[in-house]
Amino acid sequence: MNPYAPKLTKIKKIIEETPTIRTFVLEGKPIEFEAGQFAELTVPGVGEAPFTPSSSPYAPDLEFTIMKVGRVTRALFELKEGEIIGVRGPFGKPYPLNDFKKKDVFIVGGGVGFAPLRSLFLALIENIKEYKKIYIRYGARTPKDIVYKYLIPGWQKIKNVDILLTVDVGDEEWKGRVGVVTTILDEIPVDVKTTPAIVCGPPLMMKFTTQRLVEAGFKDSNIYLSMEKNMSCGIGKCNHCRVGKFYVCKDGPVLTWKDVKDIEDPFL
Amino acid sequence: MNFLLPAHNLEKWLKRLAAWAKIFYSFTENGKAHTIRYNPDNFISPDFKNIRTAENIKHFFFPSRGVVARFPTVLDLRPEPIVIMGVKNCDLRGVDVFDRVFLHWQPVDDLYKIRRENTIIISSDCPEPMETCFCNFVGLKPYPEGIADLNITLVKSGYLIEVFSKRGEDLVHADSDLFEEVKDGFVDEREDTRRRALERLDGINKNRINDKIPGLVEKASKNKIRDARDDCVECFSCLHCCPTCYCFLLSDYKRGDDIERIRTWDACYYAAYARVGGGANPRSRIDERFWNRFQCKFNYFYQYERIFACSGCGRCFSGCSAKIDIREVLSKL
Ligand SMILES: Cc1cc2nc3c(=O)[nH]c(=O)nc-3n(C[C@H](O)[C@H](O)[C@H](O)COP(=O)(O)OP(=O)(O)OC[C@H]3O[C@@H](n4cnc5c(N)ncnc54)[C@H](O)[C@@H]3O)c2cc1C
Ligand code: SF4
Ligand code: SF4
Ligand code: FES
Repeated sequence: MNPYAPKLTKIKKIIEETPTIRTFVLEGKPIEFEAGQFAELTVPGVGEAPFTPSSSPYAPDLEFTIMKVGRVTRALFELKEGEIIGVRGPFGKPYPLNDFKKKDVFIVGGGVGFAPLRSLFLALIENIKEYKKIYIRYGARTPKDIVYKYLIPGWQKIKNVDILLTVDVGDEEWKGRVGVVTTILDEIPVDVKTTPAIVCGPPLMMKFTTQRLVEAGFKDSNIYLSMEKNMSCGIGKCNHCRVGKFYVCKDGPVLTWKDVKDIEDPFL
Repeated sequence: MNFLLPAHNLEKWLKRLAAWAKIFYSFTENGKAHTIRYNPDNFISPDFKNIRTAENIKHFFFPSRGVVARFPTVLDLRPEPIVIMGVKNCDLRGVDVFDRVFLHWQPVDDLYKIRRENTIIISSDCPEPMETCFCNFVGLKPYPEGIADLNITLVKSGYLIEVFSKRGEDLVHADSDLFEEVKDGFVDEREDTRRRALERLDGINKNRINDKIPGLVEKASKNKIRDARDDCVECFSCLHCCPTCYCFLLSDYKRGDDIERIRTWDACYYAAYARVGGGANPRSRIDERFWNRFQCKFNYFYQYERIFACSGCGRCFSGCSAKIDIREVLSKL
């Protein structure tokens, strides 16, 4: 198997999440994965970029929720349903779900960072009896920027799931919390000594959330952080994704605060 | 296992090898060692006495630009057999680093593997290390002890050949009429040459700090490494000529109805190297990138593999416009 060659498939469906974020549902299931692992998507003729599936590992489809930010993602947003796309993966290590069993799970997301967290959340609720309670704390810039709006009400009805949203700036219709995501981390209703906290979002959000979680008493080794680094190969060879001695594509993409706390500006 | 190739048999051997492989070997021009392709119609004598060639050996297994995948049509790579002669021990460190990354670390890079399997390496001793040589600084000797298939040491009666691999042994057996039994004294002659080479190298690099390097680099004050960057003119030739640097970049190009995925050498000194989507850049400053290179070669790689991702070949400062000597940077830590 050539590790540089993508599997080709088609885009089955495109869901508009926000003005800059879309979910791409792929045809068939070109790769199997576990929550936390990622893949390289190829836009034919343009190139590759790394993304974490946002769908459940147990689901029949493979989905990615993607924000338009630059060259490859712009080209991806030009693609229509039925067009060809390439996938390479899965890469990296999954979340250690076995270590989360019999515990609360505290998930904190920001912006498009909800994508990998949705995959994790869906994997957790597949076996929800194994865990105590699942908390989601999610922040977006404005109500329009919240992803999966159409799914959240259903999730909130699930027993032992506790979801709290906030927006930086509200609008007339918004009745929920207003403020950056750390403002909804003032109350932490879990046993911080044992609970894993899983964080994914933009760099500043990661930085301040981690600070807040450490202050609140979470253990460094229980704070799981999605590291966004430049990637090319995805298989631990090209060196692009290195942060300290870690290859984010191989040792990550999720590292713990214990792993990275001695690195200067690990989130930059 | 040792054999003698009498001096007058070398050209015969090259001719026979050329019947089934492309042959490259080292020769000297204006005092500098270079790699050349064997051409029976215009034969240039090899030189196995000089130090490593100016060209860097990774080209053979890891071309500076090459197709690594094609789709939808599948890439079918069939490299021709190659024999490279006169490879020095420092360049074998380069091969060692690449073997670890592309063959031992999973997943295996099939493209590297197939090129490596089709290349026979015949190394040679360095009887006369030069000012730029510091293989002894990074745990190597100025003569090979493995990794290659065969090794050549110059002795008075010709070439003393040491067998390192089964492949190498088969090569000697295939042309056994050209080789002779090794007589008493040849091996002593080799030991003598090697001892003198080591002494010379010790003279060149008096302060050997070998075992302490990883610790020193890990704990180094950033400023000490950063200070060295002040003279850097950012040409980055130091990384492209380095036999142990394995960074690369993939990019896609349309070719007819297919798409080709091209791998090109990359270098961690480039500003865009670590930049992520949207423009954030963890190593936007050259001093951060300088720091990263030293950590990569002398700390992180050592943590994984217990060898340095540096061979002591000295190419990086031989080609450096500012003559930033990596030994100096390390000794000041
Ligand atoms: C493990 C992981 C998971 C991720 N998951 C998600 C996710 O689920 N959803 C999501 O929206 N985002 C995700 N991201 C972020 C996503 O990968 C980036 O947003 C994406 O790479 C941006 O690509 P771009 O080409 O559109 O952006 P750009 O800003 O154009 O480029 C991104 C990088 O590629 C380099 N680059 C650009 N053009 C070239 C070129 N021609 N040649 C060489 N290099 C070039 C740039 O220097 C830059 O470093 C994830 C990132 C990682 C590491
Ligand atoms: S660095 Fe050592 S092995 Fe390399 S050419 Fe010089 S003496 Fe030979
Ligand atoms: S860092 Fe310099 S001396 Fe070391 S292997 Fe690379 S080019 Fe040779
Ligand atoms: S992306 Fe190439 S080493 Fe991690």
